[in-house]
Amino acid sequence: MSAPVSRAGLVAIYVCSFLVGCVLMGFEMLGSRYLNPYFGSGIGAWASLISTVLCALAIGYFAGSAIVDRQPTTRTIGVMILIAAAYMAVVPATADTVMADILDTIGDGPAATLLASTALLLVPLTLLGTFSPIAVSLLTRSAGEAGRVAGLVYGVSTIGNVVGTLVTTFMLIPTIGSRAITYYFAVALAGCAGILFIPFGRKSSRP
Amino acid sequence: MLIRSVILGMLAGCLSVAASQAQDTRNLLESKESLYNNIYVYEQGPYRSMTFGHNRRIYTESVYNTRDELDLPVDYTRFMTASVMYAKNVSSILEIGFGGGRTAWYLHRFLPKVQVTSVELDPTVLEFAKKYFGIKEEPNFHVANRDGRLFVQESKERYDIILIDAYRGPFVPFHLLTKEFYQLVKDHLAEGGVVAQNVEPSTMLFDAAVKTIHSVFPQVDFYEAGGNIVMVGYPGDERKPEDLAAVAQERDKEFGFRYKLADMLAQRKRIDIDNGQVIDAKAKVLTDDFAPVEALKTIERHNRKLP
Repeated sequence: MSAPVSRAGLVAIYVCSFLVGCVLMGFEMLGSRYLNPYFGSGIGAWASLISTVLCALAIGYFAGSAIVDRQPTTRTIGVMILIAAAYMAVVPATADTVMADILDTIGDGPAATLLASTALLLVPLTLLGTFSPIAVSLLTRSAGEAGRVAGLVYGVSTIGNVVGTLVTTFMLIPTIGSRAITYYFAVALAGCAGILFIPFGRKSSRP
Repeated sequence: MLIRSVILGMLAGCLSVAASQAQDTRNLLESKESLYNNIYVYEQGPYRSMTFGHNRRIYTESVYNTRDELDLPVDYTRFMTASVMYAKNVSSILEIGFGGGRTAWYLHRFLPKVQVTSVELDPTVLEFAKKYFGIKEEPNFHVANRDGRLFVQESKERYDIILIDAYRGPFVPFHLLTKEFYQLVKDHLAEGGVVAQNVEPSTMLFDAAVKTIHSVFPQVDFYEAGGNIVMVGYPGDERKPEDLAAVAQERDKEFGFRYKLADMLAQRKRIDIDNGQVIDAKAKVLTDDFAPVEALKTIERHNRKLP
């Protein structure tokens, strides 16, 4: 646990942690707007969305922990976030076709609603889910501070979740429309990726 | 200071709840938490009412007179039937949002040969309607347990009249208030068909709803109905009052409606939707992409009454 990221890298990771947290939950709220016209707005739609988000996070955390073993850099998480951004960027133009196809082929039961939320959320949120474990690994300089770092990263990203949920629901959806918000999210993620592509120094495992 | 006002507020809240419970002389027949609502059925005298939410006094969904199944005690439910004088033919009616089913049942009883279909999302509402509100499946009367938009989307039928009353209670499903939804509704109207919708006019959601329905239906007539507004939308040119009066008279006679179409016609109002006098010029058409229904519902409307 040597050659940690520089001070600038540290700040960049926390800033991105916050922004990724914002987008993650913001996109879940948007998910309801994409799903409701096709699958209704009941508790079933929400159960599907929430379970899909949590599945994505679980997969993301596992994948992240596997990546940590392969000596990641800030660039690694930058790539993950960039792919998530690209995925989100195609959602507004394609979501209606996908939702309508699912509705036509499977109907509107729990299986269909789950499939729809999976199509919408699973890929980008899994990629975003890899962020925190990798970030913890990059920020940890000694085994003794692992707990403190993990707490900070999850705290910052959870505050991002809260801000993302509230801002999306109470400010963005009432003013600009779901498709535009999705594009902004994609841009915000691409911005994060851009920051993370700046070479901050590499974390390598102890020889 | 803040804490004190919060505590005082909570105290006041408790007191008012206690006061409202003290005044409550209604007899609770049954309550049930469904997938979508907390539903209560009360009885007071001959009337049974179905209410949603914990805020029981506010969201009354349906009132049924157990001694007279054709009574429509809630004003707007009567005006929903005004749509009958607009439709070119009356052979099939679709209602979205069944509730206690009063409007649909009234129409079914006076129009026994007409195919009446109603769609209700909440299975418990249907269960209670059948248990307490005298509703039963009959030839030409069917209720489907389905999301309203999904039902229309999948339906291959066309209807002469489509009644929309799915926004009661505290929640507004935005996907039943967008331009795309009304387009879907329009696509399922038979030739000469009409749509009637109940709206609550006290918030900015009303302005947006009017603009949205108007974006699909060039003609919208308004009926003020006991605090609510019933909008009747139809394609083509504006109907002349004398033509409507002729149809109203003819159908009143043919079907023997208790609430005369001719009487309702006297309440008909037309407004210029685009001049910004009654409907806020800044109100936007709601779409699947942009439909901030919850936010609009929190904004009080300025007191611009229908002329």
